[in-house]
Parts: sequence; C-alpha cells; structure tokens
Amino acid sequence: MIATFFRNLFRDLVRQPMRTILTLSGVMWGTFAVVLLLAFGNSVQKQSMKNMRGMGDRLVVVWPGRTTMAHGGFTKGRPIRLTTEQVYGLTDHVKGIAQIGPEFRQGRRLRHGREEFNITVRGVGTEYTDLRNTIAQNGRFINKIDLERRRRVCFIGDTLAKDLFKQDEPVGGRIMVEGVPFTVVGVMKKKIQPSNYGGNRDTQTLFMPWTTFTALYGSKYVNNFIYSTAPGVDSAALERSLRSYLSRKMGFSPKDTDALFIWNQAEMLEQVNVFFLAFNIFLGMIGSFTLLVGGVGVASIMMVVVEERTREIGVKLAVGAKRRQILFQFFSESLMIIIMGGILGFAASAFLIGVLPAEKIRDYVGVPQINPLVGIATVLILLVIGTIAGIAPARKAASTNPIEALRS
Amino acid sequence: MIQLNDIRKVYQMGKLPFEALKGIDLTIESGEFVAVMGPSGSGKSTLMNIIGCLDTASSGEYHLDERNVAGLSFDQLSQVRNRKIGFVFQNFNLLPYATSFENVELPLLFNGKSAKQRKERVRELLDKVGLWEWHRHRPTELSGGQQQRIAIARALVNEPPILLADEPTGNLDSNSGREIMEIFQGLWEAGKTVIMVTHDNTVAGYAKRIVRLLDGRVENGRKSA
Repeated sequence: MIATFFRNLFRDLVRQPMRTILTLSGVMWGTFAVVLLLAFGNSVQKQSMKNMRGMGDRLVVVWPGRTTMAHGGFTKGRPIRLTTEQVYGLTDHVKGIAQIGPEFRQGRRLRHGREEFNITVRGVGTEYTDLRNTIAQNGRFINKIDLERRRRVCFIGDTLAKDLFKQDEPVGGRIMVEGVPFTVVGVMKKKIQPSNYGGNRDTQTLFMPWTTFTALYGSKYVNNFIYSTAPGVDSAALERSLRSYLSRKMGFSPKDTDALFIWNQAEMLEQVNVFFLAFNIFLGMIGSFTLLVGGVGVASIMMVVVEERTREIGVKLAVGAKRRQILFQFFSESLMIIIMGGILGFAASAFLIGVLPAEKIRDYVGVPQINPLVGIATVLILLVIGTIAGIAPARKAASTNPIEALRS
Repeated sequence: MIQLNDIRKVYQMGKLPFEALKGIDLTIESGEFVAVMGPSGSGKSTLMNIIGCLDTASSGEYHLDERNVAGLSFDQLSQVRNRKIGFVFQNFNLLPYATSFENVELPLLFNGKSAKQRKERVRELLDKVGLWEWHRHRPTELSGGQQQRIAIARALVNEPPILLADEPTGNLDSNSGREIMEIFQGLWEAGKTVIMVTHDNTVAGYAKRIVRLLDGRVENGRKSA
C-alpha cells in the first residue's frame, strides 16, 4: 500500500517533468533564501557578541564626573574624584564585585628607533588583563612586583608592537615614552574589539603599572575605574548599590548621573540581544516571503493539476475512494514538492556555506552555519507554507463531483 | 435486491427547480438482467447515478440489499460503491497513464487488500477477460473493445453483486460490442445483477427485462406491469 502510494506519487510528479522542476525550483530558491538569511543572521549575532566581549565580560566602566545638582550643602559643579586606594577599597563596601581596578589615561609620544607615534598610554593594575581580556600572546602582563617597585615596564597592543618593532621581537625591547625608557614585558594576543572608551583601542595602546604612571605624570585621581560583576549577581542591582554607596561617601545626589557615569556591558548586551532577535525575525520574514512565493507557485500548479485530473478523481470516487483519500492524495503531492524543494534548497545553501571563504568574512559576519536552530526554523516555515499551499488544491480535488467528472 | 420507493430528484437550475425524477418506484431482484431505456432527458442517467450511489435522491427510499442507503453520507456511499457495485462506462474511464494492471487494481486499493492479494486478484480478472498479456500496456495502446474489457475487469475485481453499465457498447464497433455483451451475458448467467442504460435495441435484447423511462417516470415499473 505504501509502496503503491509512493510509486503513484512519483509517477504523478514525473509525468510533467518540466513543470515539476520549475515548481520545485521556486520552493528550492525560497528555502535557500530562508536558510542563508537565518544562518547569516545567526552568525552575525554571534560574532557581534564575541566582538563585544573583546572589551571584557560582565564589564562595568565608571567615570567620576562633575555634579550637576546641589546636594548636602555642596553647590553643583563640584568634581567627584577617586584615588586608587578608594577604588580598591570599594570591594569592602559594595558586595558582588568580582574584580576592580583603576585606569589612568594620557596621550603620549612613543619612540622606538626611528618609529614615533602619538598613542594612548594607560596606567593599570594586574586585574586589568582579566577585566579587559588583554591576554599576553608573548611575555606576560604587568604583575605585582612591577606595581610595587614602580618598574618602567610596559605591555603593548599587538598592532602597536608591529608598528614599532616590525619583524623584531618586541618582548625585552625598549620603548622611549617621552624620553623615559620602558622595557616591553608582553604583547597582547590579537582580539576583536570594535571600539573603546577614550583613546586608542587596546591593540594600539601601551599599558604600564599605575604606580609608575602616577609617579611619572603626577596624577592622583583615576580617569575611570572598571569592575566585573561576580557570577550570579544582578549587575543592575550592583550598579545601583555602588552608586548609592559612592553618593553617600562622596556627597552627591544618587540621582545625579553626571557625577558618576556608568557604562554597563550587561545592559548593552541585553539591548543588542533584543536588537538581534528583531533582526533575525526580520530576516526570517524576508526569507519566508520568498518561500511563500514558491508556495503560491506550488498551489497554483496543483490547482491546474487537479483541473486536468478531474476524470481520474471521478473514476477513483466511482470505484470507492473516499473524499478524504482524494484530499490526502493531492495534499501529499503538494507537500512532496515542498519537501523535495526544501531538501534541495537546504543542500544548496549548505553547499554555499561550505565553500564560503570563512577566513575572509569571519571578522565581519562570523562563520555562518546551519545549526539546529536554523534547521528547525526552516523546517517549520516549510511545513506551514506547504500546508497552506497544499490545502486549497486538495480541497478542490476532494470536492469533485464524480458525476460531472465521469461525463466529460 | 434493489428497491426504489418514490424516488425524486430535483435540480436547482437557476431560480427554477427542475424535477429529473418524479417519483420512481422500481424493484430489481438479485440476478436480474435489466435494460433501462428512454429518450434523452428522460432521467436515465440520474436514475443510474442514484442506483450506483454516485448521487443521492432528493426524497424517497432506496433499499440496497435490505439496507436503506438514502440517508448515507458520500464517504459511506463510497464503501457501498466499492463493495457492491461495478461500473462500466461508455467512454471506459480508464486512467490513461496507468497500466491495465493498475487500472484493474484501483478498486482493490480502496478496499485495503494486501499487495499479494491484489496481484492474484488482478491476474485472475485479466485472465478472465483474456488480457493478461496486456497487463503492462496503457489504455492508449489497446483497442476500444480491449479497453472496455479492462474496464469490466476493474468493475468486477471486488466481486460486487451488481454491475451497472452506461451505454457500454456506445463507443464500440458492432463486433466488439457483441463481445462485450456476451461477457455481460456470461456474468448474468454466473449470478450477477446486470443493469444497463442503452439506446440500442440489439443491446437491450440481451436483457431479460426492459424498464422504460419517460419524463422522469417509469412507464412499466412494477415487475408485474
């Protein structure tokens, strides 16, 4: 019975090969579009998330600013300033901080041999490497002893290393920072970081111990500080308690967002996630519309097929076919075209994704792949459209009047 | 046994109702050989469709083997057609892309028979009409007479007690027509109820009883008449 069913189904499909192929290609093209759009949407999302983590993970950046509200007897316009000790001391007063550290920043002129650059110089602590994902490719990051002894050592971004040292080994090399010699102890591992807050990106930055920085340049107060939220801690709640603690301690209104400007990566990621959800739904819809056109093609062709096969339907009804059997026959025929087109479209998109030069596009759109999510979404869209496309012709076939059909 | 009581069929033609059958009373015993005759428009086809369960009457009772089939749904009637009635048409109504074998097999597919049973049964029937050697051929490769024999094999494959034929020789030359009628004759002798619509007096001559229709009424309905 099943064998007969498939034999007949297949014969019905190959009876008009050109028509079947054309109908099939509509569905194939639609599936191709859906799969590719979803796969790329997905990979762009993943890559963007990855790029954002280049800055750090669960990272919060805090800039002390200037008050804009009068508070506790102080007039507005008062600068809020924190020392390194105050920054490190925050962990005692605010719970839920995993790591915290100061950040000093200035633009300075560097020289190595004949190469000279104006570049961002940052004074940081040992925790900076974890907070900001500045991981050593060669050598090491700034350590405790560097800080204690105010050593003139530096850790440099990979692009800066190439610009200054060309083919030479940077680690152990010497850089003059406005006449003061520094020894390079490490070079950062290449990472993707689309932007930075203030100054050059990490790849073009020179990092030195904050102790050295303050001694050389006479800074007392941090430009900003950074911390990471401990796992399992709500970063928004932590942000609020930090603000309320500092407002009490430094005497500014907790509502005064200019006194303390906070950038929270978790919030940012949330927004980006929402954006990408919308983005992917949008892409899926564009693909679905393309597929819908293919589905409409199947439906209209099947309408013609039903018309042409009225007599066959009449004969089948006369010899004892039930209406639902006829319905099923034509519905499965439409569905089969959709499924075959879907498989072909899937295969075509898988092939295209397979031959894409992943290396060249990865930094921009990530590596598109047909993951289960994309697969399930596509199959669902296909089934919905297949059902819509199949139901009208099948109903038409099942409602054939056998008397009229046999008379023709 | 077929028993029709006051069968009426009304078609709505535009705004006016048109009564194709105006109260048919007709009884056909099992094993009869009946020819239904009458001018066109007399309601022959409508009557055959109702007897064949392809159509339902607007009112009246239809008992087929003691069972009232007048109130059954289309899908319920499908089963009745499948098991009890074999159709033979003037234009054969074979599926053009299917082989002789598949054409004969068709009613078995709607009767849930296994592949093995179907094969045996189809072979038996094609042998009976002398066309087994043509079982892989399509209708277009056969003569009219052969096509009608395939159609008869199809009509008989589920062993229905009743055979309905609508002008079975209308599209055939006289030799083929005679062959077909001899098959009907043989089937009647083997116990089938044969009911056929015809214009042709020679063909009607094979029947043992002639029912004449005129304007939706039977002129000689009761057997006694």
